[in-house]
Order: sequence, then C-alpha cells, then structure tokens
Amino acid sequence: MVAAQAKSPAKPHQASPSRESEVAASVKALVLAGDRDAARERFAELVARQQRRAVRIAFNYLRDAHDADEAVQDAFLKVFTHITSYREEFPFEVWFTRILVNGCLDLRKARARRLRWALPMPSAPDMVAQMEPVANDPSPEQRLMSSERARQIAGAVERLPDRQRLVFTLCHVAEQSTSEVSQALGLSEATVRVHLFRAVRKLRKLLTGEGSSATGVAPSSLLDRERSAV
Amino acid sequence: MNRTHLTDNQLIELSLAGIDRTSEPHLAECEHCDARIAALTSMLGDVDVSLTAEVDEAFPPERLARQQARILQQIEQEGRPARVIAFPAAQSVPVRVHRRPTRRWVAAAGAIAASFVVGILADHLTYELSRSRPVATHLAVRVGDQHAPVRTVAASLSDDELLGQIEAAVGSTGPASLRALDAMTPRAWDDR
Repeated sequence: MVAAQAKSPAKPHQASPSRESEVAASVKALVLAGDRDAARERFAELVARQQRRAVRIAFNYLRDAHDADEAVQDAFLKVFTHITSYREEFPFEVWFTRILVNGCLDLRKARARRLRWALPMPSAPDMVAQMEPVANDPSPEQRLMSSERARQIAGAVERLPDRQRLVFTLCHVAEQSTSEVSQALGLSEATVRVHLFRAVRKLRKLLTGEGSSATGVAPSSLLDRERSAV
Repeated sequence: MNRTHLTDNQLIELSLAGIDRTSEPHLAECEHCDARIAALTSMLGDVDVSLTAEVDEAFPPERLARQQARILQQIEQEGRPARVIAFPAAQSVPVRVHRRPTRRWVAAAGAIAASFVVGILADHLTYELSRSRPVATHLAVRVGDQHAPVRTVAASLSDDELLGQIEAAVGSTGPASLRALDAMTPRAWDDR
C-alpha cells in the first residue's frame, strides 16, 4: 500500500480534477464575483477535507503540536487570502501543500531563533511518551511494547534530515505521489525519489539495525535518474 | 537458482517502486530476499501507522473542531475594516471646562496672586532675618570674650571673617615688607 502510494503516477494536469480542486475553483470564482460570504461557506468544506492531512504533515515535520496547529491555521488563512492566484490546472492539494510546507519552514526557523535565546525545553522523548497511541484495552506488556516501539519510531523519524523527513512524511503520511511532492517542494522527481530512498534506508538502519553495511549512496539507477533530471 | 541475494539498496528500491514480489524473478525463488523485503514493507507500515496514530492522539476530533472554528473565524474577520476602539473612553464624556471657561481663568488669576503674596512675604522675611544676624554676631562675640571666644565666634562668622580672626590671633600679618600695605588695606568685615 505504502509503496504503491510512492509509486503512483504523477498528475500535474489531471483529466478529472479532485473534489478539493473543484471546491477551490468555486471559492475563487465566488471571491472574484465579490460574494465573500458564500466563498467563506464554501471554503469551510475545503478546510474540513484537508485539515487532518494538513495536521499530519505539519506535526510530523515540526514535531510540536502547538506549532503544527499554528502552521495549519496560517496555511488555510493564506489560501483564502490568495485564492484568486490559485491556478485550476494544478491540483489544489499540491498548491496547499506548498503553502503549508513553506509556513512550516518559517516556523521552524523562528523556533530555532527562539531556542538560541531560551532555556532548554523538556526532553523530546518525554513529550513523545505522553502522546503515545494506546490500543483498545491492551495488556500492560503490550502497552509497554507498543509505547517502546512508538518511541523508537518517533525517535528514528526525528533523526532524519529535514528534507528526508519532509519527503517521507509527504509520501507516506500525507499519501502523496513523488510527482506531487516534487511539485509541492519545487524539486525534481528524481531528487524526491533519492530523498525518499535515503529516508527509508536510514529508518531501516535505525529501527532494525539492518543495512548498516550499505554504502552511503543511493542506487545507481536512482542517481542516474537524478543526473538526467538535472 | 540464483544465490546472489539482492543488495539492501536494491531491496529498498524494489520496495519503494511497489513491484509485486511475485513478478520479481529473484524474489519468487529466493525465500531469504522475500523475507527481507517483507520485513522492510512491514517496518514501513509500522512507521506509517505509528506516525499517524501519534498525530491523531495529539489532535483528537475536538481539537480539530476547535481549530476549524478558529480558521473560519479568522477568515470571517479577514478583509473587514478594523474596529476602532475609542481611547480613552473618558474623553467621550463632555468636560465641564468647555461649559464654563471663565472658571479656569479665575483659578489661574488666584494662583498668580497667591504666588505674589507668598513671594513678597518670603522676601520680607528674608530681609528681616538678614538684619537680625549682625546683632546675633555681636552678642556671640561678647559672650565669647568672657567664656570661649574662638568657638563661639566661629559659629556665627563667615569664612573670610574666620580666616581673618585666625590670622590676627596667630599674629602673622605676612612678610615685613607687606605689613604697611596690609595695614592700609581695609578688611571686608570692617565695613559692616
């Protein structure tokens, strides 16, 4: 399933636009017609459809619920403010993801600036431990193992370089194709694939201990594709 | 049977490409590599589930609903002119000064007159005190003649007078060549 998502073909010019793209186009038309109240009502549907996905992207990139909350709100506000510049020939999800990721990057920079002058915060593993998912009525042993595994996974994902984590999040958590991710991030599709490959390889090494003997380069086929794309 | 196993990189690439394991000849015949790619796919699935669960835990439906309400509220405010808040609120209440402006002038004239009176009184008092000071000095000198001359006089003399008295007491009037000139020179306290 996951691999199929990463593999799914690029759709820069879809034959049939997604529901989100249709709603966005109608919001744009309403705004241009001066009917802002109707546009706002229509936009609520867009928020409802994209909100959970946006939260997943922002949270996995920023690793902070408060910042993710802020980033998602800002992104939706920017979308509505600049809806007239939306181009219907592109999927709305790609445009929105780009706005959201740019907002996340800004927040991340701001947080780095804050941390330079602030006292150290409580350690991240404690925060992760508080947010661990709990299955329905698990036994204490299962809960312990589940929490330990969740902690390992969260720690491994946090250790990914920013761009690898972002690409991995968009491909796996946000379920976007590499083509959509390349459009959203302004990278070539080959570069996206290389980042994705490296992210998976590093996660595998961190979580299973396998692949430690692998060389630090992507497979030649991927690199060839990247070179040809450049 | 091909016993050269897939490298880790090939395995990852196959996993990301979503190639059907049965369609890959090597995987179809190599249980070891088949197990490896199955483990990798399982691990990625665990990561996806874990990350998604983590976000859903941090953002339950109630929080998402609140967030959605805030977004829509912000959008509703967007584009509207800012509400002007009167500041300070007390300024909107009519001030009495505008109704009776003459009162201010009366109060100002009264204050000026009062300050004149106070100034005149203060000047008069200062003058009286300055007149009474020499009497006190003379009295102090007289008392000092009888009991403790130096200490009593020093208490009421100026610096010049004190230095002159000290000079006279010590008896030094300077070099001999200047004594005639010194005798001719009037002293400041002699003029009083």
